[in-house]
Amino acid sequence: MSLAWSMVRHRFAAFAGTCVAVALGVALIAGAVTLWASSRPQAPERYDAAPVLVHSPSVGKGSDGYTDYRSWTAGEADDLAARLAQVPGVTRAVPDPVFYAQQLETAQPAQAAQRGEDAQQLKTEETKGHSWSSATLGGYRLTAGRAPARTKEVVSHQPPGTRIEVLTARGPETWTVTGTTDGPGLYVTDSDARKRAGGVRVIGLTGRPDVDRVRAVLQERGPDGGQVGDHGDAAPGGAGAIADRAGLEDEEITRTRWLGAQLIIAMVVLGAFVAVFVIASTCALSAAQRQREIGLLRAVGATPGQVRRLMYAETAVVATLGGLLGVPVGALLAPLLAEPMVAAGLEPAGFEATVQPLVLAGSFGLGIVVALLGAAAAARRSSRVPALEALRDAAAERRAMTWPRGVAGALSGLAGAALTAALPALPLTTQTTAALGAAMLLLVAAALLAPVVIVPLVRVLTRPWRTTATGMLVREGTLTGVRRVASTAAPVLLTVGFTVLLTGSIATINESTGLDETAKLPVSHVAAPDGTPGISEAVAARQPGEAPLPSEVVLTLNGTTAAYEATGETDVTGAVLSDRIAHRPAAVEVTFADGETVRLRVTGTHDGPAELITLPRAQVREHDPDALTDHILLTGPAVPGPGLKVLTSHDYVQELIEEEDGIVRVFLLVLITLTAGWTALAVANTLLMATAARRDEFRALRLAGGGTVHALRVAGAEALLAVAAGTVLGGGVALVTLLGMRRAVEAEVGQSVDLQIPWTQATAVVLTCAVIAVAATSIPILRRRPT
Amino acid sequence: MSITQLRTAVELRAVTRVYDAGTAVTALDAVDLAIPPATFTAVMGPSGSGKSTLLRCAAGLDRATSGDVIIDGVAVGSLSERALTRLRRERVGFVFQAFNLIPALSAEQNVALPLRLAGKRPAPGQVAAMLAEVGLADRAGHRPSELSGGQQQRVALARALVSRPAVLFADEPTGALDTKASREVLRLLRLAVDRHSQTIVMVTHDPYAAAHADQVVFLADGRLAGRLAAPSHATEIAVRMAELEER
Repeated sequence: MSLAWSMVRHRFAAFAGTCVAVALGVALIAGAVTLWASSRPQAPERYDAAPVLVHSPSVGKGSDGYTDYRSWTAGEADDLAARLAQVPGVTRAVPDPVFYAQQLETAQPAQAAQRGEDAQQLKTEETKGHSWSSATLGGYRLTAGRAPARTKEVVSHQPPGTRIEVLTARGPETWTVTGTTDGPGLYVTDSDARKRAGGVRVIGLTGRPDVDRVRAVLQERGPDGGQVGDHGDAAPGGAGAIADRAGLEDEEITRTRWLGAQLIIAMVVLGAFVAVFVIASTCALSAAQRQREIGLLRAVGATPGQVRRLMYAETAVVATLGGLLGVPVGALLAPLLAEPMVAAGLEPAGFEATVQPLVLAGSFGLGIVVALLGAAAAARRSSRVPALEALRDAAAERRAMTWPRGVAGALSGLAGAALTAALPALPLTTQTTAALGAAMLLLVAAALLAPVVIVPLVRVLTRPWRTTATGMLVREGTLTGVRRVASTAAPVLLTVGFTVLLTGSIATINESTGLDETAKLPVSHVAAPDGTPGISEAVAARQPGEAPLPSEVVLTLNGTTAAYEATGETDVTGAVLSDRIAHRPAAVEVTFADGETVRLRVTGTHDGPAELITLPRAQVREHDPDALTDHILLTGPAVPGPGLKVLTSHDYVQELIEEEDGIVRVFLLVLITLTAGWTALAVANTLLMATAARRDEFRALRLAGGGTVHALRVAGAEALLAVAAGTVLGGGVALVTLLGMRRAVEAEVGQSVDLQIPWTQATAVVLTCAVIAVAATSIPILRRRPT
Repeated sequence: MSITQLRTAVELRAVTRVYDAGTAVTALDAVDLAIPPATFTAVMGPSGSGKSTLLRCAAGLDRATSGDVIIDGVAVGSLSERALTRLRRERVGFVFQAFNLIPALSAEQNVALPLRLAGKRPAPGQVAAMLAEVGLADRAGHRPSELSGGQQQRVALARALVSRPAVLFADEPTGALDTKASREVLRLLRLAVDRHSQTIVMVTHDPYAAAHADQVVFLADGRLAGRLAAPSHATEIAVRMAELEER
């Protein structure tokens, strides 16, 4: 170990690249994971004064991985609340109905929504109405006026007497403020709230409830006869369960955090991958340069194992230094990133990064592991250097291409190709991650197989200049130093490939999705919500065309109870199930959003996914007063109304895509910047190392009558050649992959799709690489020691 | 014949080494050679005569295509790479033309390296004594880059001798040195033989260097081409060399 320390201290320049790569990697991972760890789900602030929350029975996990719940019926909720109120320590047991109510401040909810973009929490709370009694769960009080006593009376943050325009699921309404509260949202009478909400799923208990007694009450047979399944604390047939507070988080906030987590995962994976890549290429180059020294160690009695351990120890020393630099940077970085994450809609408002000691320690350890992984190939290779190497006068370059390298290259190439082929079949949200994985595999393949391609490539590229002195030197220098060129070309290949492949594949898929979805719409115009979560019943009723009503129902089919996404349609008279369900019964028991169960005849099938069910619209409306129409396929001119806008089918589809596209664009920007920055470091590092090691060669060139200008020209041209080779390889891999993907997409959509090639990004990345490459080669030549 | 001479320090029995680089090149052709302990042998020959190959095979750095190499009573051919490494570490020392010190380590650390690689802790004063023997007691903490060529070669010599190897191989040890430094290194080699009964095999094409040896072995075209016991003067060796070159 002390030998390793001496080695590192002596030639720190050679290890600086690894050190910086580890430091950056650790900083990135520490920062990103700190953000992730800081972003824990939280129950809404509205429940802060309720130490125990009871949730309605669950019906198991849906296909999206989230637990689905069945609502209590009004009777069940009241009955259970009454029983819970008698549990010792409980001050009040309050059912919490929630419904859609959005205040139209300046006549247009769109503006409220625009303001809301900066404050997601505020926005979601602002579109919610509650029962006045539930204000006690948050400890909210009346600061003026009185509680609401009848329909259309409301408590809000405004002074009593104000008349407000409100959009609810029913339609636009005018309410009178009777009292002012410090809580968020709008509070109406309990009975009004019950009528408007789509069922009650939470009962909040205030005071100091005896949790065991609460549990006992829940485990008694539920008043509904208890036909639903088990969940957590509740026995089968239980009336509910003590809620996991974090699980009560607003779905929208959960989704925001989920998106943030996706970016963080991608960043960490990419960060670790690029770090391994950079460290591996740095170590490979430095090991190649140190062959003589390693041969000497072997000659004086070091076993292959000792050489390998030495290389690992050196890397561990360097990685420890890098980690020590990176951890504080990451810890400082996280709080700075919190705000941009919120602004980009990747974390909920009010999100703050907190110090996570475990995360910091973990990233430090990960940095060392990653560095050792990167050094593994070089260490293995070095340990096989024969002792004889020390006796050679000049270390002639050994074969750059070995068969394990070839096999590894071919395997990762195949895996990457397979993943790319599967890309169009994956859901849009996982596509980014999958595309990233495919890109990684393909580019690793290209980097591994690069030495095979570089020789012919260099011959072709340098052909026009083969008769000039510089041309000849560059040509021969590159052809004899394939490993060096491959080391420099690899990071360029990585960046160019990543940029083209990631941006290109996402853009191409988006293009095709747009075509696909537009083709599915049978009408030319669509009415869509404008700054609201959906279209209210009153507005929808006036439009010509079908206004499907989405809701959630619980269904027991073939012995399994699960949540289904229901759509209410007017021309349906019974339950319409997916034709993918094998044994369709003649009738089904449908439990609606309000907890009521209705027996419906199965009247037909649709060709959609199994978890979709179509039901009579009137029945959906009856049992889910809070349901909002999300779009209307217009068969005639639309009638204007609040919260409604009319779009052409194409624009409507584009808007749907854009919503996700905005986030995807942020993802791409972050990931590409990250890769580009990192590979810039790698290019600079390999070239600095390679050029510094070639001082003697350049001295010989000067002795042979060339000036510094000549040396600069030769080295610069070689660097550019390496960049060109990397660009051609990376771009080529990306292009081939994109073409393959386009074919798959075209087959899926059934029409031709334009290939989207991100020329601007690609050009920017290549130019950056070229500038860095030339700079990194020139510096060691210019600051040569006088000879 | 004394008892020690019953056993050879190094012995080559019909050693042949063929390099297969496109066309097969026979670098050594059935060479028999026995090096008695506590003697100083110089191996000479024109360029391409196979003297470097002879040294590599004899030192266990390279494996013979056929024939046996016996170092200090151990047949090298059957040893695994690991066992061979251990044998080199414990019984063989090297001095190269290009000094070959680890630039990151001080003179002292370089000398201690073979012991450390063997997992041994140098005895107190062992390394210092070794450095003193080559006249570099005051240079222990210096890095190779802070030493002259002659000093570096003396550090390399100290490193090769510190584990008291059965045999020391020197490949053109004076090839990169000026006259004065060469003399000093040759004097130290001679001293090691005379004072510590060290066995030394040295490849050189400098007749002056070879004149320090107890015997000179001549090689030509991969075969032994003569032997000169107890050469008195460099001129005698130079004449033999010239004859070989002219053949």
